Order: sequence, then C-alpha cells, then structure tokens
Amino acid sequence: MSLATAIKLGDPTQLPSRRDEDWRWTDLRGLIRQIPPSAEWAEVGEGGPFAAIEAEEFVVSNGHIEGWNAVVSEGPADIARLRVVATEASSNPATVFVTVRAGTSLLLLETYEALADGALTNVALEVEVQAGGRLERVVLAADGPDSVTVSTAKVALGEGAIFAQTVLTSGARRQRLETQVAHPGAFASVRMDGAYLLADKRHADITTVVTHQGVDGTTEQLVKGVVNDQARGVFQGRIVVAHGADRTDARMGHHALILSDKAEVDAKPELLINADDVACAHGNTVGALDEEAIFYARQRGIPEAEARAMLTLAFVEEVIDRIGHDGAREIARAWAHRQLGASDGL
Amino acid sequence: MAAVSKTVEQVGELESYKHGFVSDIEQEFAPKGLSADTVRFISAKKGEPDWMLQWRLEAYERWLVLEQPDWARVEFPPIDYQNSYYYAAPSTKEGPKSLDEVDPELLAIYAKLGIPLKEQEVLAGVEGAPRYAVDAVFDSVSVVTTFKKELAAVGVIFCSMSEAIREHPELVRKYLGSVVPVSDNFFACLNSAVFSDGSFVYIPPGVRCPMELSTYFRINAAESGQFERTLIIADKGAYCSYLEGCTAPMRDENQLHAAVVELVILDDAEIKYSTVQNWYPGDPVTGKGGIYNFVTKRADCRGDRAKVSWTQVETGSAITWKYPSCVLRGESSVGEFYSIAITNGRQQADTGTKMIHLGANTRSRIISKGISAGRSSNTYRGLVSAHPKAKGARNFTQCDSLLIGKDCGAHTVPYIEARNGSAKFEHEATTTRLSEDQLFYVMQRGLSQEEAVQLLVNGFVKEVLQELPMEFAVEAQKLVAISLEGSVG
Repeated sequence: MSLATAIKLGDPTQLPSRRDEDWRWTDLRGLIRQIPPSAEWAEVGEGGPFAAIEAEEFVVSNGHIEGWNAVVSEGPADIARLRVVATEASSNPATVFVTVRAGTSLLLLETYEALADGALTNVALEVEVQAGGRLERVVLAADGPDSVTVSTAKVALGEGAIFAQTVLTSGARRQRLETQVAHPGAFASVRMDGAYLLADKRHADITTVVTHQGVDGTTEQLVKGVVNDQARGVFQGRIVVAHGADRTDARMGHHALILSDKAEVDAKPELLINADDVACAHGNTVGALDEEAIFYARQRGIPEAEARAMLTLAFVEEVIDRIGHDGAREIARAWAHRQLGASDGL
Repeated sequence: MAAVSKTVEQVGELESYKHGFVSDIEQEFAPKGLSADTVRFISAKKGEPDWMLQWRLEAYERWLVLEQPDWARVEFPPIDYQNSYYYAAPSTKEGPKSLDEVDPELLAIYAKLGIPLKEQEVLAGVEGAPRYAVDAVFDSVSVVTTFKKELAAVGVIFCSMSEAIREHPELVRKYLGSVVPVSDNFFACLNSAVFSDGSFVYIPPGVRCPMELSTYFRINAAESGQFERTLIIADKGAYCSYLEGCTAPMRDENQLHAAVVELVILDDAEIKYSTVQNWYPGDPVTGKGGIYNFVTKRADCRGDRAKVSWTQVETGSAITWKYPSCVLRGESSVGEFYSIAITNGRQQADTGTKMIHLGANTRSRIISKGISAGRSSNTYRGLVSAHPKAKGARNFTQCDSLLIGKDCGAHTVPYIEARNGSAKFEHEATTTRLSEDQLFYVMQRGLSQEEAVQLLVNGFVKEVLQELPMEFAVEAQKLVAISLEGSVG
C-alpha cells in the first residue's frame, strides 16, 4: 500500500490507511475517494519562502521537473533551493536525486508550496551524502489548507558524513514528511529536528527512521509541536540499532503543546535496539503551557496573551536555534512568529 | 555480609527450570480440534446453562472470521488450531466437596510446585505471615479452592468460574464480557468460545478482603491449550489483592495459553493484581517448545476514584503477547502498571500496557523494566491515550531496558494519543547495557561475574519488586536470578 502505487494505478484502494501500522494516524484511504488526474507544468515566479538566500533553484511544478531532476554539490558551500509547487487539483508524483560529493557541503532549502485545493503531491527524494560530505537540509512546508502532501526522503550516508535537518511545517489537509536515514556509524553524525505549528483543521505528520548499521554513530533529535483549534500533530520517530552497531549514541526528544481542547497530538517514539554497547534514550512530553510560568510573567506586568505567545515561541525556538545557516535560521524564525501569531489566543 | 551470603545462597539454588516435570495423572480430553461441537462438548462437560452455551457459540462464529494479529514484534510459525486439545481435565467422578477429597496425586503435584493447598499452611512457613486463599487450575479445570468458608463469612465470593456460572449466574451474566468484549481480539474471542475454567471473585461493597487471593495455573497435558477466564468485581469501596502464578512441563511442542482476565472496579474500590509468569520458556539453545502466552487482561475503573494496579514479573513463555490495560472511566480513577519482563535464550516478549483516560482527572503511572539476554527479543509496547473529556488527565511513564550480551534485542514502542489540552503526559525511556564500571566494582569485592550481574539486575528491577506482596517479591527475586542463568561469560 503506497501513495505512489495508488497514483500510478489511479486506484484509491491502494492508499495506506489506519490499518497500516505506520499510517495509523495519517489515514489517506479514508480521506481520498478518487485519485485526481495529472496536470501540466505551470510557471511560478522565482523565489518562494527562501527567496532572500541566493541559491540555485530547482522547481517541481505539478509533478514535473524542468531539466535535470538531480541536485549535485561541487564545492565547499553550495546552496540549492528545491521548491515543490502545485497549482491545480492534480496528482503530482515526482522523484528528485540529491548528491553531496565527498568532502563538499550543501545547504538544501526545500519548500512545499501546494497552494491549490485538492492537490495530491507525492515526492520521493533519494539523497546520498558521500564520505566526509556535509548536508544541511531545511524543509519548510507551507502547503495550502486543502492539499495533501507526502514527501519521503531516503538518505544514505558515507563514512564521517554530517547530516543535519530541520523540518518545519504548518500542516495541510493531510501531510506526511518522512525521512529515512541509513546511518553507517563510522563517525558520521545525524541531527533530525523538526517543528509542527498547526492551527484550524490542519494535520501534519513528521516521521523519521534512523538505522544505525555500523559502530560509532551518533544521532540526536529534537522535535517540537504546537497544535491549536482542531489541528492534529503526529510524530513517529524510530531509531534502529542493528546487530553489532556498538558505541551508538542516539537521543530523541519530542515535546508538544496542546493549546485547545479539540486539538490532538499522537506520538510514537520508538527504540529498536539489537546491540548491547549503546546509549539510547528518548523523552516525550505532551501538555499545556505551564500555568505557573504564565502567572509569573503576569505578575511581572506582562499581559496574559503576550505571556502565552512568549512562552510558546520560546518553546519552539529551541528547535530553530539549532539550524546551522544564519539566513535560513532567521527566515525560519520569522515564519514561526507569523505562524504562532496567526493562532487564536496568541 | 548478609547480603553477599544470601546472594551466594541463591546462586546455589539455581536450576534452569525446576517446574518442567510432567505428572502422570489420569485425564480425560475433548476430541482433538476445534469446531462448534468442541464448544458444545466443553459446555456440556461443565453442565452449563443454555445462555452460556449460546454465548460461547456466538463467540466461536465470530472467531472464525477474525484474523490473528500480526503487529507484535514476535515471530512464530502458523498455529494449527485443529491440532490441539481444548479440554483436558483430571478424571474424577464428581468435583471434590472438600480438600480431603482431592486426589492425593494432585495435592502432591502442587506440593512439588510449592503451592500450599492445605488451609493451615502459609506460603513462606513464617508464623504470623499473611494467609493466602488459593484457586488451583490444572489444565482446563479448577481442582480446588481453599478458604472458601472463611471468605464467605464476610461476603466474599471466591470460586472457580464453572461454579460461579452455576451458583451466581446473575453476577456472571452482568459482568462477563463487559470489560473484554467477545470479539475484542482474535485470542480473546477464541477464549470466549472455549474457556474452561478460571477464578471468579466478588467483593461486596465496603469489604476489604481479609486475605490475599491467588490462582495457580498449571498446564500438564500434552498437545493441549489452556484457556482460563478470570473475572474479579470489586464493588463500591471494596479492596482485594490477587496473585497469579503459572508453570508448565518442558516439552518440544509449543502449547497455547490464551487467557482473558476482566477486572471491574466500582466507586472508591481498589484491586491489586500481581502476576508471576513462569511458563516453560522453551529450549534456550534451539528455541524448541515452550508456551505461547497470548493473554488479554483489562481492568475497567467504572466508578469514581476507583484504582487498579497491575504488577507483573514475566520470566517464562516462549512468546509473550500481553498488555494488561486500564480503562479509566470513573472520575479521578487511577491506573498503575509495574512490570519486569525478562527474556533469555530464544524467548520473545511483546508486552506493555494501555492506559485509556476517559474520565476527568484520571491518573496513571507506568514503570517498565525490560531485561534481554541470550538471543532473545524483548519489546515494550504501550499506549497512553486521553479522550477529549479526560480533562486534567496525567500520565508518567518510565521504560528502562537492559541488554546483556550482543545477540539480544530490546525495543521500546510507546504510543501516545492526547486529545485534549489539559492532559499532561510524560514519557522517558533508556536502553543501556550493564555498566562495566559497576560490574568491576562489585566483582572487585569478591563476587563472581554471575553473582555480580544478579546483584545489579536486582537493583535495576527493585522499583517494581517493591510493588509485589512480600512473599511473591522473594520468589520473584529468585526467579530473576534463575532466568538469567548462563547469560554471561
């Protein structure tokens, strides 16, 4: 069962449903009755959310890519923008290859801009970071409220590679942003952060799988969520340590704030460990803002609404502060401010 | 020094699986296989009323269309449900009226297992220690229940399920299947169709049960399954503590144990349910044989301020598939789950709990300690959910896993579903191996490696052992040591 097969065959019964363990909180089968037809390439203006950063631009428009569908880094500080755009209520399947050559460095600024109602987008990313390469992936999913997007990135790392990603999303009607990392150990390091800031009836699902296959690997992960109104946030994080992948050090944290009585957060932070010389841990918390902290702020003369906004922002900024690239970090910060400002009560 | 000599003493007592004997006792069986006729046979054998037979037949019909669940992290070849006996009972002309009439051979078996079926005895043989009423279930039937008269004096009903169906049909009809519905899941549904016996407990309003209640399950017959059903009702303001233990002979075949336990807790009542599970785990090297322990246990806190506490020590079984759950329906009701799961050899365990918060201000607490050794696989799987009406729901979960050896697996799979803004859930988990530094320190003080591991493991699980009634805690501590034998060096 997969979205790719469903689009290929035009058959909605092939869609993953809540009966599929990995899709239990992101039901596509129950949502989509008909697979929409495909559409033509549509011209969109250059830029997108990361327009302020000078970069080479790759656009996936309604599932079509002009020119090469591959991003390849050549130098020590390459920057690429990958924009996934949908302008019609169409099915938009696409595959993009990203290669970070040995010893080079790439900042990949990836955005999802499916603004058309009823758009059904499915992107597969095949990412390779060769030995000693460095990839920072910053994903900003700014889809429209009535689109459905599934993005699946498969990341293979070489010896000593550094992979850092931050996935930021405001959700969609249904949205799944999945990353699977094959971790060779070998002094490679992985950071897998994310934040979902959801309002209205939006849904977002951040799913990650990191498989440690060799010795001496590290993974750290911090995902935070703020859900308001009737929104639903999903986090599924899985860290796998294969037999023999000794001296793995993996830490996962997921923390969510629920700001409304009709909002929902579902989380499944998994550790699957098959080696004994490891240090693995995860922490997960879900709750409301700390009333004592609000009381403290009010006592200092800060109005309640402002106090709530301040605490919520501080909560999310812990993720944003970890973005390595200065420009990307400030764009992400401004996005988070806008996103939280738009919610009720903030 | 006392602690050291005690540990040394325990090591001396180590045996691999001392309950593995088979008792040659005359038994009668239902014809092999499963059909509506098997269900009728069991029901007729137990002299059940028609409503019970119909209930069973309906369950059987539903079971035929259900599928065996496959989401757990356990692997086993397909089970041939037709190649098993669904009813095996020691032959007796009529049920024993008193202890004196129980087959002395059976009493001897229980004596060998260390279970006191004589009312004057106490488990640890210590004067002044609390007394235990025991319901002994041998394969498909309850052979004896002790202390019934004394319990009846305060209004407590403690008997076998068969007897409850005959003597207290109004209670059984009201509560049976009300916590675990007939078609709740594949194994529970199978149990509903063919369950043979189990314990029934009713504690009337305001009564604190004067002694610990316990059931001891023993599988003896070959090629048979055990399907017991336990129902405990704590009426308003009542309290009871219930213990269960289980063992089985060593055999090369896999035997199925699919039990259902239902707990009903009304306003201000409390049930404390403790399990020490030591079914035969199968051969540690080849993985041949052992019990498939596929059990559905659920507590329904129906009343306000109701409380349930599950404590389990899981050391046996080839495969464990078990999630004792708490449905926290009543306002301010409380659920607790304390678990030690140990796997060694080729054992596989997928166990945990569900805390379902439905009422306002409900609270729950999960402490799970998993230990994997040998080539085993040990998974904690647990759900914590808060529904929109569960305002102020709180949960704290701590899952720690310990790995001993390079070839085992320790997995943590928590599910968290929060559907309102005032719920507060916290979860933390760690997976590590035994610390080299700690081992070195302890061995430097003169303990062997095996003793050192035991000492550290007992420290690791202490938080849960403390929740067990005293005598059980001592037994469980020994069991932990035995289960890990041969896991180091």
